[in-house]
Amino acid sequence: MGRKSLLWKFTEPRSTYDVVVIGGGLHGLAAAYYLAKDQKVKRVAVLERKHFGYGGSSRNTEVYRVNQRAPEILPLYLLSRNLWLQLSAELEWNVMIWEKGMIGLAHSDAGLNAIRMRHETQTRMGIENYMLTPEELKKLVPALDVSDKAAIPIVGGYFNPPGGQVRHDAAVWGFLKGCYKEGVDLCAGTEVTGINVTEGKITGVDTNKGSISCPVVHMAPGGYSSEVARLAHLDLPVMTMPLQAMVTECVKPFLDHVVVSEGYFCYVQQSIKGDLIMGAHLDPWQSYKLYNTYEFAQEQAYCMLQLFPDIAHLRLMRSWSGLCDMTVDGAPIMGATEVENLFIDAGWGYFGFKSSPACGKTMAEFIASGRCPDLIKFLGIDRFYEGRMIPEVYIVRT
Amino acid sequence: MGFLIACPNCGFRNAYEFKFGGEVKNEPGHGAGLRKWRHYFYFNKNVAGVQEEWWYHYPCQTWVIVTRDTATNEVVGSPRLM
Repeated sequence: MGRKSLLWKFTEPRSTYDVVVIGGGLHGLAAAYYLAKDQKVKRVAVLERKHFGYGGSSRNTEVYRVNQRAPEILPLYLLSRNLWLQLSAELEWNVMIWEKGMIGLAHSDAGLNAIRMRHETQTRMGIENYMLTPEELKKLVPALDVSDKAAIPIVGGYFNPPGGQVRHDAAVWGFLKGCYKEGVDLCAGTEVTGINVTEGKITGVDTNKGSISCPVVHMAPGGYSSEVARLAHLDLPVMTMPLQAMVTECVKPFLDHVVVSEGYFCYVQQSIKGDLIMGAHLDPWQSYKLYNTYEFAQEQAYCMLQLFPDIAHLRLMRSWSGLCDMTVDGAPIMGATEVENLFIDAGWGYFGFKSSPACGKTMAEFIASGRCPDLIKFLGIDRFYEGRMIPEVYIVRT
Repeated sequence: MGFLIACPNCGFRNAYEFKFGGEVKNEPGHGAGLRKWRHYFYFNKNVAGVQEEWWYHYPCQTWVIVTRDTATNEVVGSPRLM
């Protein structure tokens, strides 16, 4: 028998809420979900300009991992990974998590040193990680070319088990289901046209469907963060750039890990369906246009063939791009703003997908309690004025 | 191909031949404090629309100011030399 009751319903916004979340992507939905569930905030709405999960939430490459560089931010990613592992059971919705592990490749002594540095950081923080020789890499990933025939041969690498793949659409649907169950209003097609501030305090938002009065607003707008923050007369230290990715046709399973090359600046994984998801190329200029370029496909194919010569005859099926609001140090902007009760979760660049549950949870705690959780206390917008950068820029060339 | 930019020296060239240098900003004066300078360095208007921005053409080693719509990547008018 088919399911009779709806998993979620969209509604028109009401005239007043306790908390309004701007942005119906994973970050916004997760924040609303944890606000309602953990913090017991009664009247929460998520306002989405287009449809839920339209932006970066459906334009990523589905990778989550805990092997970032800066020790300030690693615990947040660790929380995120642990939440991903729980979410299927908690939401009663399969987000199809597959913890296959990350394989990283180094192609030079400098690359090896960078990997070693991260290995030390992770090991000291209790995150499992192994340094590997080319021979060991070949055993784990038989399709990998570890010979010296490649343009830049592989000299070593790492295996980082706590990483893998989450089905991104399933994650959006899971959070929609969770939000609906917790009584959050899900307002699609609702564009915020103004953020109302009186005497430095939030009083509400204007939308294309009327004004909403609310004492707290949380902005989680993804690539459009600057445009949304401007409504409250705030500048952000970000630049929006397009990131491109693509998939091949489906083939029998041969790749059981996410493989990242830090010399070729690319990564690849095989989905459960069998297609190879590969990325990523950040076009090094500001753009809000979603497009794909021939240069990207050419460069990506070249890099992939250096790593996996046997996939030469696979056809490309699709390509896409998403918007990344890049900060100058590569780490996000999370926390309060100079406007009282206006919160922000932005600047995630190309790390947004993997971190979404932890961001939702920590921001919900901050919004409800007014105290900044330790996990995100380094990530406030003040660090740009105080010169406390968190060096997180690597992998994707800019 | 991403899009074309008309270099004043070389004519219409692929955008990948250029380096993007960010939006045109007003530099704080010599007496400005550190906070103002950091705002100038790190913060952007990041407009989804028409803006003036710096581009460097590698082949002819020239900085130009381009007016471009970042929502469509259309270059408005002709780029000018500094």
